[in-house]
Amino acid sequence: MLTYIIVIGIIAAMKKTNPSFLNGVPELLVLRLLSRREMYGYQIVDEIRTQTRETLSFGEGCVYPYLHYLEAQKQVSSQRREVDGRNRNYYKLTTRGGKRLEELTSEWKRVTAGVALLMEGQHA
Amino acid sequence: MPRTDFIERMRRRLVELGCPVAHVRRLVQEVADHREDLKQAALSEGLSGADAELSANTKLGDPLDLAEQLMVALRRSSWWGRHFLIGFCLLPLLAVPVLWVLLLFLGLALAFALGYGWDVQKLHVAAASPVPFHHLVIAAHIADFVAIALVTLLFCGLARRSAVSLKWMVTACAVCSLYALFTRFHLEPHSFMLGIAPSPQWLRAAVPLLIAGAVYAFHRRTIQGFHENVLG
Repeated sequence: MLTYIIVIGIIAAMKKTNPSFLNGVPELLVLRLLSRREMYGYQIVDEIRTQTRETLSFGEGCVYPYLHYLEAQKQVSSQRREVDGRNRNYYKLTTRGGKRLEELTSEWKRVTAGVALLMEGQHA
Repeated sequence: MPRTDFIERMRRRLVELGCPVAHVRRLVQEVADHREDLKQAALSEGLSGADAELSANTKLGDPLDLAEQLMVALRRSSWWGRHFLIGFCLLPLLAVPVLWVLLLFLGLALAFALGYGWDVQKLHVAAASPVPFHHLVIAAHIADFVAIALVTLLFCGLARRSAVSLKWMVTACAVCSLYALFTRFHLEPHSFMLGIAPSPQWLRAAVPLLIAGAVYAFHRRTIQGFHENVLG
């Protein structure tokens, strides 16, 4: 009985835990950028920095574990190839990544709309 | 700092921190590409070669700190890397008896099917007979040792794959060893008991420790081989 309770507790804890450490802005930004075109790591970091006017930025080099995680989740795929004499890993969005992007975008809009309502002092 | 020195220091630190070799290769390759892109961007801004190198290194930061940040991100990318205590302390305790019961039932079902066919009536005859029961006890002991060894190996593998530090791999082995040391099962015809052992089960407890030693030796050899390959 005790074992059963412990097992149920662990399963509940696993379900409650955020299933993805990327459930948030970094994942949304990376997937959004890759939905436009395939990119390599440096481009992603650079685009995030410039397009957000340096409000948001990945640490240089730290984007790669995130990209590998997204690849393990089959949200992006990668291919190493030579372009202009340089070999790089190019990442592109998969169908699953596209669906995930839709979910995250919808969640993001819902949250920002809620925050905006509160900030503007409106009441339901 | 020359390029090779920067990348080499980061690579060594990743290996020291227990990063799986396949991840080390890929991370090193991509960070080296990233560094080259930073350098090219600096050159296009009109910096000299040496200044561009320096600018790229400055933007990437200290190679040892970068390796640690990469490892933190890598660990956080797996459930096992985020939940050390549940994953490497509690789950091995549950996994050993569960796997033991599964192995035992699978083995017995197979043996019974081969020996008697799928005739359930004959199960009662076999259970009451001393000779088949003796075989059942031997099978239970074998399944017990196999379950302890497999669970230890499984958690060692999970620890390595999720890039958690060596201490969590050792913790999982120690938990398996403690479980083996202080528990025992008792089997009689139509009766089964799993509980606290009246005396320490040293032989069972040695199994996870031996596996931990073998995995550690293999880990050291892999790291040494990896360093030699890269430097050679």
